[in-house]
Amino acid sequence: MKVFNALELSMFNGKGSPAYVAHMGKVYDVSDSVLWREGRHQALHEAGVDLTEALSQAPHGDELLKGFPVVGIYNTLIK
Amino acid sequence: MARVAREMVEKAGINVEQLLELLVKNAAAELTTYYYYTILRSNLIGLEGEGVKEIAEAARIEDRNHFEALVPRIYELGGKLPDDMKAFHDLSACKPARLPKDPTDVNEILKVLVEAERCAVRGYTHICNMTFGKDHRTYDLSLAILNEEIEHESWFSEFLGEGPSGHFMRRGDNSPFVRKFLQ
Repeated sequence: MKVFNALELSMFNGKGSPAYVAHMGKVYDVSDSVLWREGRHQALHEAGVDLTEALSQAPHGDELLKGFPVVGIYNTLIK
Repeated sequence: MARVAREMVEKAGINVEQLLELLVKNAAAELTTYYYYTILRSNLIGLEGEGVKEIAEAARIEDRNHFEALVPRIYELGGKLPDDMKAFHDLSACKPARLPKDPTDVNEILKVLVEAERCAVRGYTHICNMTFGKDHRTYDLSLAILNEEIEHESWFSEFLGEGPSGHFMRRGDNSPFVRKFLQ
């Protein structure tokens, strides 16, 4: 499975590319979600980033993310 | 636009453009839900479906009322609705509540209904959290809508066998919480 660093993940921001988000070390492909059109979610979140912290503040848990395909592993230690 | 009202909200530290985007997205969700609920309700037929129809009708009308109540606040804050109905539909805060493949399956219809309400509960909880103590009018409106969305969720949840809602059917007019914004 592909390992993403922050720079690689940022390229999948949903603006002319697939929309990927990271959560707890996993990278999810949310491109097919109507709630992630053009890589934006609920006016507040952008694709291409690690949402682990943001999700802890969200009005829903990670159960909604788990329905999406996992396309990689997120590791900030890799340059 | 209510210029001073908007200034007060900005001074309280709210990103008004972000809030407006959320309000428009939720208004879109309400109107599209109203549309899809009309189809869902029409398919609640037969011995099983008729038992759910009345409560689905209350939720349908109340979701339309939520749309009606949100629109003035959007314009007060300097926002607007999209000119294009399709664009409005596509930016909805919740995914469309489409009729299931088997339209005679009342249980599947109920699952669609409860998921739509759960999305709404999350959305208005978020707006309440964002505006609490800062934008009193949007908070008051969002809280009123949230109260009704929570009841809708619990009605459909009860029909799905998830446990008692603790509520009774609406008596009298619809929208007991939002009504004050519709005067």
